[in-house]
Amino acid sequence: MEEKKETKQENKEKAEQNKSLYDKYYKLLLILPAVALLFSIVYLYQFNQQNGDIILKDVSLTGGTTITVFDKNVEVNKLGADLKKDFPDLNIRKLSDIMTGTQLGFIFETKEDAQKTKTSLENYLGYNLTEENSSIEFSGASLSAGFYQQLRFAILLAFCFMAIVVFVIFRTFVPSFAVILSAFSDIIMSVVVVDILGISISSAGVIAFLMLIGYSVDTDILLTTRVLKKKEGSINERLWSSFKTGITMTLTSIAAVGVSLIIIYNLSETLRQIFTILLIGLGFDMFNTWITNVVLIKWYAESKHGGKEQ
Amino acid sequence: MKLTWRIWLLIILLLLSILAIKPSFQTGVIVKSVEKNSTFFEDGLKSGEIIKKINDMAITNKGDYAKAISEIFSGNETKRIDIITAKNKYTAFISEPPKITVEDVPKTKLQTGLDLRGGARALVQPEGNITDEELNNLIDISRNRFNVYGLSDIQIKAVRDLSGNKFMLVEVAGATPSDLKELISKQGKFEAKVGNVSVFKGEKNDIADVCKTDATCAGITACNQIQGGYACSFRFSIYLTEDAAKKHADVTRNLTLDESGKYLSEKLYLFVDDIQVDELFIGADLKGQVTTQVAIQGSGTGKTQQEAISDAKANMNKLQTILITGSLPYKLNIVKLDTISPLLGNEFTYLILIAGIISMGVVAIIIFARYRRIKASLALLFTSFSEILIILGIAALIRWNLDLPSIAGILATIGTGVDQQIVILDEATTRETLSLKERMKRALFVVVGAYFTAFASLIPLYWAVAGLFKGFALTTLIGITIGVFVTRPAFSDMIKSIEGE
Repeated sequence: MEEKKETKQENKEKAEQNKSLYDKYYKLLLILPAVALLFSIVYLYQFNQQNGDIILKDVSLTGGTTITVFDKNVEVNKLGADLKKDFPDLNIRKLSDIMTGTQLGFIFETKEDAQKTKTSLENYLGYNLTEENSSIEFSGASLSAGFYQQLRFAILLAFCFMAIVVFVIFRTFVPSFAVILSAFSDIIMSVVVVDILGISISSAGVIAFLMLIGYSVDTDILLTTRVLKKKEGSINERLWSSFKTGITMTLTSIAAVGVSLIIIYNLSETLRQIFTILLIGLGFDMFNTWITNVVLIKWYAESKHGGKEQ
Repeated sequence: MKLTWRIWLLIILLLLSILAIKPSFQTGVIVKSVEKNSTFFEDGLKSGEIIKKINDMAITNKGDYAKAISEIFSGNETKRIDIITAKNKYTAFISEPPKITVEDVPKTKLQTGLDLRGGARALVQPEGNITDEELNNLIDISRNRFNVYGLSDIQIKAVRDLSGNKFMLVEVAGATPSDLKELISKQGKFEAKVGNVSVFKGEKNDIADVCKTDATCAGITACNQIQGGYACSFRFSIYLTEDAAKKHADVTRNLTLDESGKYLSEKLYLFVDDIQVDELFIGADLKGQVTTQVAIQGSGTGKTQQEAISDAKANMNKLQTILITGSLPYKLNIVKLDTISPLLGNEFTYLILIAGIISMGVVAIIIFARYRRIKASLALLFTSFSEILIILGIAALIRWNLDLPSIAGILATIGTGVDQQIVILDEATTRETLSLKERMKRALFVVVGAYFTAFASLIPLYWAVAGLFKGFALTTLIGITIGVFVTRPAFSDMIKSIEGE
């Protein structure tokens, strides 16, 4: 019995000596996500002060008109410059074929009402806009404002529901908190990048943030389950195994979303925005899962086992 | 491979889904609507029939149909037209194109949404607070209006949003009627005044009948050349109830004659939604008379005479429709109106398909590169494809319109689905002392955990934004549910069996 205890003691010392740099200083890694999150929150606060909201909204959330005209010949840049004085807020974009790169038409966005926009465009182009050559989408301002409020509420509610489910699954505070924190960070950091890129979010874009909740908790749940429920291997080994699995998961998602984004890029505004936001979010998911969540769960698992590696 | 009951369940669902999607190789055009009281309507041609031939010209698609019709009706003379459908033959002698709308025969039972196949969508909000009953009433009147106007391929339903706002959602697939906006939003409050005195209103207790298609009491009366084109006038009769006619008599009894002596000193003014649409002289012989028949006139303009006639006919139809269906007790606001061109629809569908196939290919390559197991990687691909098919099968079964948000939902489902299959594959391939069964159990714990978080986060979206993202929420919910109960368990059995070998 004595002898056994001694060997154990020796082993422990050995392990202490062998402790890698990572094991000694991993907690310091938390500085990275903490700084990033702090920066994001400050940035969004500033952004909110300047723009009245934490995102830029497109006409589907502010109200206004989007007209898509299928005209292969019109000079889009010139059209934008010429109509700028009538529509100071106008946003114009070319539509083109992914395979050949030829122009298919353009998208014209403004906060003005549909009739005025349609008439101006018709006068400029010299022909009538019909369903044969164009699509017209109009949303009233108060409806759009209402939609935006509801979508924000839906995201908040979705996030709370997700948090509740995570707590029910793991039933312990720190691991659940770690999962929720990294999902939260994913979203906040993605919003910052979207703002920096100057993307105006549409209602579909808001949905993309909601999809991010689903995507980001997947890897976190995997990680937490492996570390807490797996019996074999050291904590580091379990972390490494879940890292390999999780990275494969995220990489396949990034590849699939990336490919879809390239193909759909110039054709569908809705899908383009959804895929762009997902891509940004998936990038942050790697950062937050494999730094924030890993450090927190390792810290928790080690302190739970009295600093011993099991 | 051992076929467990879970794998059987997947195969059966897969077959049922293919059955529900029901790929069809039939050619022709399908009749979407036949205008009431038209020749072919009376002959018994019904929507849903598939036109195969017109006057010996084979019809395989919409283009053929348009070509055949324009060839037959190039002039103004009366022509014989034989429409041969899959079931029957209909013959008519008419001078203008038949009043039917057609679509290509759908290749599958899947229905695409407005943003893919084109059409119009209007979200209409009544002013002020209305009760559920009033909302349903509004929908009935609107539906009736569309029917009377001659549009049948229209969906109207009540929608509510998270804030308790009530809307009427109108969706028209395919071609958009140019006057959709007016048809929907016109309150249709009709009033006739003699001088300042209201004689009758467009309500059921004032108007007994409206002449709509009978050429003896409704039609184009004259066309004149005007500056920049033509103007045509129309006239149709309305029949007043006894009460309204008496009131008309009372009001006109005290009027004097005008200078010419042919007409009364006051005119009859017609208003729709408080805007004067016409003023008519009242013949001297009508003074104090109880007349139940009143002629309503109006006009239409166009660059050519044909255009002016069509415009006048459309205006007449609108006015008749409003008078027949009665007015709405409240003002309506069109808060959202989208008219989507069908032009890019096919290209969209094609590119989305390409994107899906290439994405799956890339995923397969990554999976194979990571695990070097060809059978397991193929099983993963098979499972993901089955998942797409089953979601589409359910969509076809519940007649769900697949719009862009729904497609994004399917992509999201496949994405998370692949992720979870990786978890299963990974657990199966790690060398551990724990039994394969135990490891599968642990993998399914992760899968079920992820399922419930995703499920919970999607629920609020179902009701938000007047249901415009219901498609996304629904497809994703169906997808992840199928995933957790059918495809993931089947996949884990496949892996168990493959790894067991």
